Amino acid sequence: MKGLIFNIKRYAIHDGPGIRVTIFMKGCPLDCWWCHNPEGKSSGRVTVGRIDRIGEREFRSEEQVGMEYSPEELVEKAERDRVFMEHSGGGVTFSGGEPLMQPEFLTETLALMQQSGFHTTVDTSGYARKETLKQVMQYTDLFLYDLKHTDPDMHRKYTGVSNDLVISNLDMLLAEGKDVWIRIPVIPGVSADAAHMDNLRVFLESRNNGHIKEINLLPYHKTGSSKYRRFGLDDRMASVSQVSNGHLDDYIERLKPLGIHLKKGG
Amino acid sequence: MKMTDRVTRLREQSLNATETITAERAQLITQFYSGGEARGLSAPVLRAKAFEYLLRHKTICINDGELIVGERGPASKATPTYPEISLHSVEDLDILNSREKVFFRVSDEVRKIYREEIIPFWKGRSNRDRIMERMTPEWLAAYKAGIFTEFQEQRAPGHTVLGYKMFHTGFLDLKKEIADATSHLDFCNDPEAYERAEELKAMDIACDAIIMYAGRHADALDTLAAVEQDEKRRHELAGMADLCRRVPANAPQTFHEMLQHYWFIHLGVVTELNPWDSFNPGRLDQHLWPVYKKETDAGTITADEAYELLGCFWVKFNNHPSPPKIGITAQESNTYTDFCLINLGGVKPDGSDAVNEMSYILLDVIREMRIVQPSSMIQVSVSNPDSFIHKALDIVKTGFGQPSVFNTDVIIQELVRQGKSIVDARNGGASGCVETGAFGTECYWLTGYFNLVKILEVTLNNGFDPRTGVQMGPKTGDPRLFSSFDEFMLAYRQQINHFAHIKVRGNNVIEKTFAIHLPVPFLSLLLEDCIARGKDYNAGGARYNTTYIQGVGLGSITDILTSVRFNIYDRRRFSWDEMLTALHNNFEGAEEMQYELIYHTPKYGNDDDYADAQAVAVFEMFHDAVTGRPTPRGGIHRINMLPTTSHVYFGNVTGATPDGRKASVPLSEGISPFQGVDSQSPTAVLKSASKIDHLRTGGTLLNQKFSPEFFEDEGSYQKLTALIRSYFSLNGHHMQFNVVSADTLRNAQKHPEQYRDLIVRVAGYSDYFNDLGEDLQNEIIRRTEHGDY
Repeated sequence: MKGLIFNIKRYAIHDGPGIRVTIFMKGCPLDCWWCHNPEGKSSGRVTVGRIDRIGEREFRSEEQVGMEYSPEELVEKAERDRVFMEHSGGGVTFSGGEPLMQPEFLTETLALMQQSGFHTTVDTSGYARKETLKQVMQYTDLFLYDLKHTDPDMHRKYTGVSNDLVISNLDMLLAEGKDVWIRIPVIPGVSADAAHMDNLRVFLESRNNGHIKEINLLPYHKTGSSKYRRFGLDDRMASVSQVSNGHLDDYIERLKPLGIHLKKGG
Repeated sequence: MKMTDRVTRLREQSLNATETITAERAQLITQFYSGGEARGLSAPVLRAKAFEYLLRHKTICINDGELIVGERGPASKATPTYPEISLHSVEDLDILNSREKVFFRVSDEVRKIYREEIIPFWKGRSNRDRIMERMTPEWLAAYKAGIFTEFQEQRAPGHTVLGYKMFHTGFLDLKKEIADATSHLDFCNDPEAYERAEELKAMDIACDAIIMYAGRHADALDTLAAVEQDEKRRHELAGMADLCRRVPANAPQTFHEMLQHYWFIHLGVVTELNPWDSFNPGRLDQHLWPVYKKETDAGTITADEAYELLGCFWVKFNNHPSPPKIGITAQESNTYTDFCLINLGGVKPDGSDAVNEMSYILLDVIREMRIVQPSSMIQVSVSNPDSFIHKALDIVKTGFGQPSVFNTDVIIQELVRQGKSIVDARNGGASGCVETGAFGTECYWLTGYFNLVKILEVTLNNGFDPRTGVQMGPKTGDPRLFSSFDEFMLAYRQQINHFAHIKVRGNNVIEKTFAIHLPVPFLSLLLEDCIARGKDYNAGGARYNTTYIQGVGLGSITDILTSVRFNIYDRRRFSWDEMLTALHNNFEGAEEMQYELIYHTPKYGNDDDYADAQAVAVFEMFHDAVTGRPTPRGGIHRINMLPTTSHVYFGNVTGATPDGRKASVPLSEGISPFQGVDSQSPTAVLKSASKIDHLRTGGTLLNQKFSPEFFEDEGSYQKLTALIRSYFSLNGHHMQFNVVSADTLRNAQKHPEQYRDLIVRVAGYSDYFNDLGEDLQNEIIRRTEHGDY
């Protein structure tokens, strides 16, 4: 079996505990305005232009986004950084796109990773069939779980889908006793406001069963915008600015009563 | 803790002092050599008497407010010259005076003294003249072409660190040891007894000389005390005078005595000759901790007082720029830094964790003083706690390039493999940039950088050097005729062996010139077992003797060989004809090809076994060509992998290369990847770098550049610590961090005036960014900045 992967990042230090290798899987059912990996959205391979420079001179070439890997090949890749994972308590993270879009491949790879002694993390939007998540869950040590908005309409407006499924899947994971880090994208004009943070606190209070190990506030930053230019995509966030540190501190204060470890960034 | 006003003032004075040349030492040594007293003496006694003469007549400098006294020159940053080693011409002095970076101001008075006294006496008589006269035409051609450099051409051998013994021994004690050794000389059965007797006599004179020199300071301090108005200072001066009468004659008993004791020893070494790496107290936290504990427990010193003394001590190092270098030596090591490297942490003689309270106090001193000299490092063993590393990272993250991080467990293995006892190995560490040594017992010389890339260029040209137009090496064949990559590698190996042979031959002659003409009786007192053997440091008296040649350009040569293997043999993307034509034209008109060579060819530093195989192959070639060859001191030749600034010079003399590098561009430094090609991750760089066998070197240097943001996240210290520990578990020898953003550096280049205090890691040491040549500045900017993870 083969999976379609659009990037493998070594020394990933914001995708779960320790030093990790993060595998970015192609395909995503959501359409978030602020997506940092727009090249991962479509389920197929895409060819994009690439410009390299030597001094002033530009060299144009084409690059394929999306390469096929077998689970064994990915384990081999992870193996290269095992020493760093072992010293740091790290492991392997599956991200995307939405890794749950390739459920069979993901399950098989996760199982093989665990068998090989790697800590496994799945970074997900939570938007997937319950059965899929149940299957994947068996081989996942930790979920990085996005909560993009508590309000279903806002969620739909900015991601293209409602949050019903996302919430019920989160409830299932917590009920099953899976460890979860909640990840909250902090987007000006969307989720970056005090009222939303208060809503989040209320939302999480009722679910705080000891398995929510961490909450990460992920401030929107502009590093993705160059990708939009490069891939010729429409950047709907062009007019949005970055979140100030002061605001972030305020949001952290609002979430503190939960008694869950809070962190800026991943 | 906080530096006192006194230390702040002394630090400012030191930073603001201008580097000048003083002719005092040159004048004194000339007077001595031309006087009657020098005639008819054996070499060691001659040198000991010269040493005595220098210490008797040199100006005593005591700066306002200082608590540790003694300067190498008549004032801070007044830098002496050593005409018996290398004679500066008036033109040299003009260059030193007027060059834009790393200048030394030369007064008309100094020029006059040089013209009238120094040059007439020493012309044709310096050791440099002696060396150049004895080198073969092959050696001279290779030296001129930039195939290797020669450390001992303008400076004396050094690279030696003080060990435990001398922190607990006075020179009166040494005189007893000398008397004892002399009384045991067996003139009936030992054919070398006469030489030993002369050497021991010289050592004894050197003991008296240093005690006399301290006494002159005591007298000067008394004189100052007599006229001092401020009562507190008067009291201090009187106390310091007493102290200078106790040490270094006797073993130091207090914290203050220990620092002053070392400082007199340091001054002795750098006045006797101008050894590379000045001199070095080595494991300072180990030496100072017991006396610090004893004194603070007894209440004879407070923590604040001790801290202030350390600040005063630190400033002394910064007052001594490296002796003025010219020509190729200036290019290979273009810096004021004189490479005194303070070691912290590591293990005790029994192998247990040696980190103590003093290790942390000294880290505070390093952070607060923030000056380039002395340099500092932490030794990290598996037995040391993470918190020690974290404390060091607190300083690293400020972008100061210090301290660097060394693998104690690997250093010990390197030393034991070389035949040191386990205890001597555990008492060792690293000095200079990254050089492994057994402190207090080993005489380990570095002899010159070896340009692995230039030799490749010569191989491509059938032994001919296109730049100098000389047939340098054997005719190993036109590469167009090599039917396989292995055949090509065989030709390269032949060239490496050829030039290693020339270099080793030269080393063995040069070593002898120092043994015969320039013994160092004072330095010999400090290294075990010179007294017991009655043998000079420069003649093999130390317990252990090693001679190093330093390989340069591992990343570049790996990429070059990989490109040949990949593009010419395995994939057949280009023919030799196309490649050689492109190189000849410096890629003019072959830009598409250059693009393929840079962007679509495997590179070292990405954990790519295909590329890294060439790193291992070259390492083995270089190792086999050098390691094991005997030296006149009874030691053997070995390799290490570090560049100081020679990678810039070596790049400058090397034409375009098959990795897509244009002519004159700097080579890679240390064992780091070529600037900018390590596109994978820091973990990939560490994996690539660990594929060569560090244990068979005397040190390797790996530079990693991180942006400051990288240190700010929660948990980043743990991850960085894990990164270090992982590399060390793969037997990596050393790693250092440059923590400054490329934007900052670019800005500093544009507005140097706003960045006068910007210190960056160069290669094994830190330096002011403004003091670096533009090409080196650019090279540092290009080194991959790891931040976006």
